[in-house]
Amino acid sequence: MTHYAMVIDLNTCVGCNACMAACAMENQTPVWKNKWRTYVHDKEIGTAEDIHRRFFPRLCNHCDNPPCMSVCPTGATRKMENGIVLVDEETCMGCGACAMACPYDARYAVTYSDVRQGREFFGEEAYRRTRPSMDKCNFCAQRVLNGRKPACVETCVGSARQFGDLDNPDDPVTKMVASGTARPLMAHLGTQPNVYYVDDLKRRG
Amino acid sequence: MDVTTGFFTQDLWTWWLAVYLYFGGLGAATLTTTFLTDMYMKPHKELVLWGAWSGIIMLSLGSSMLFIHLLDHLAVIHVLNPLVLFNQPHAWIAWGTQFIVWMMVWGFLYSLPYMLESEFFNSIPILKNILALPLVQKIGSTCGRHCRLCGWLATINGIGTVVYTGLLLQSFPAVALWHNPGVPLLFTVSAFSTAMAFLLLILNLAIKKREEDRPLRVFYERTDLMLIAAELIILFSFFFYLQRGSQSAAISAQLLWNDWGWLIGFIGFGLVVPFFLELKGVIKGWRSPAPIMLASVLVLVGGYLLRHYFMYAGVYARPW
Repeated sequence: MTHYAMVIDLNTCVGCNACMAACAMENQTPVWKNKWRTYVHDKEIGTAEDIHRRFFPRLCNHCDNPPCMSVCPTGATRKMENGIVLVDEETCMGCGACAMACPYDARYAVTYSDVRQGREFFGEEAYRRTRPSMDKCNFCAQRVLNGRKPACVETCVGSARQFGDLDNPDDPVTKMVASGTARPLMAHLGTQPNVYYVDDLKRRG
Repeated sequence: MDVTTGFFTQDLWTWWLAVYLYFGGLGAATLTTTFLTDMYMKPHKELVLWGAWSGIIMLSLGSSMLFIHLLDHLAVIHVLNPLVLFNQPHAWIAWGTQFIVWMMVWGFLYSLPYMLESEFFNSIPILKNILALPLVQKIGSTCGRHCRLCGWLATINGIGTVVYTGLLLQSFPAVALWHNPGVPLLFTVSAFSTAMAFLLLILNLAIKKREEDRPLRVFYERTDLMLIAAELIILFSFFFYLQRGSQSAAISAQLLWNDWGWLIGFIGFGLVVPFFLELKGVIKGWRSPAPIMLASVLVLVGGYLLRHYFMYAGVYARPW
C-alpha cells in the first residue's frame, strides 16, 4: 500500500515562489485573482538586530482524518487509498463548508467567472476545468499516478520539498517523519496531516 | 514543529450565512411551536396557518441565502437527493437540507386542512382554484385524518433544523468559538426564544383574539422568559470557557466582549432588557401589550445579532 506524504524543509526554502508558479501552470489555478493551491508566506521573525526571514510554504495537508471531507455535503471531497484527498468538480456545489473546516486554509473558490477567464488565460484547448468548485492541492495526482513527482517538488530549487511514501521504510521522507525531524502542523486538532515540516529556528543557535 | 502563530478571522461565510442560520432556526422553531400548540394545548387554525407559512417563508428566504452563494447552483441536486444521507451521514449540511425540505413538506401538509377551510386562502385568485381541485381536497382530508402523524413528522424535522444550525458551526474543528457542544445548545435555545417572540407578535398584532388567546400568550411569555434566562446562562459559560484555553478562543472573546454591538446590542437590548420586560409581565402584568411587543422585537433583533457576531468572531490559529 502507498501512503503519500510531503516533507518541507524550512531551512532550505529560499522563497523563490517557483513552486507556486509550477503548480499554477500544472493545475491551471486562477492566478489573476491571487488564488493558489500552494502559497509561500514570507514572515520576519525576531527583532531588528536579530531578525530571521522565514518562507513558509503551505498547501493541502491531505489529512488522514480530513475535516473538509466530513463536512462536504455532496461527497465531492474524497480520499483515495494512497492518501491523496481529491475534489470532484462535477459534484462540488461550492458551499464553502470545506474551506471553513480546513485548519490549513487550503481551499479557495473557483467561480464561473474564473472558468471563463481560465479559458482565455490558459487557452481554450488546454484548459481542463469545466465547472466551478472549491479547489485545492491534489498532490498533482495526475502526475503521481504516472510515477512523477508533484510539480512543486520537481521544480523546488532548494530541494525544500520532498515527496515520498510513508509505507516505504526506506523512503527518506519516512525516515524524517519517523525520527521526528519533520513534524506535522497543528496535530492537536486530530486531522492527522500528511505534510510535515522541518523546523528552521532550531538550527539558528 | 515550533511555529509562529497568526490569528485570522474568515470572510467566506459572513452576514448572509448568519441570515441563513437565523431564518432557519426561527422558521423551524416557529413552525414546530405552533404545531405542538395546536396538537396538545389548543387547536388554533389561525396560529397554525401563520406558523406554518411564516416558517416556510423564513426557511425559503434563509435557504435562498445559501443557494445564491453556491459556486455551482446545478450541483445542489446532489444534496437535495435524500440518498445523500447514506453517502454523507457525517455532513451536517446534508442533514440540514433534508430537515428543511421535509419540514416544509410536512408543515404544508399539516396546515392544508386548515387552508381548505380558510376564507383568506380561498379568496386568492389562482390558489382558490388549486385548493378546489379534488386531488387537493382528498390530500387535505387524508392529512386531516392523520394530522398527528403529519404534525410530528414536521416537528421532528423542525427540531432537526433548529439543532442543525448549531451543529453546522460545531463541525469546524479549527475554530474554538464554534467547535464546542455549547453552540448547538445556544442556537437551539435562541431559536425557540425568537420563535416565542415572533408568535407573541403574531398573537398581538395579527390574530387579535385577545381574551381567548390570553393563556397562550402567558404561556409563550413565560417560556420565552425561561429561554432568555437559559441563553444568558449559556453565554455566561461561554464567556468563561473562552477566557482560558486556546488562544483562538481568547481572541474570539476579545472580539465579542469588546464590541458594543455584541455587548449592548445583543446582550443588553437583545436579552437583558426583554428579560426584565417579560419578567414584569409575568409577575405583575402590563396594562398594555406594548412592552411585551417591544420585548419581542428586541428578542428577534437580538437573535440575528447573536449569529451575526458569532460568524465574524470565529478565529483561526494558523502557523504562519
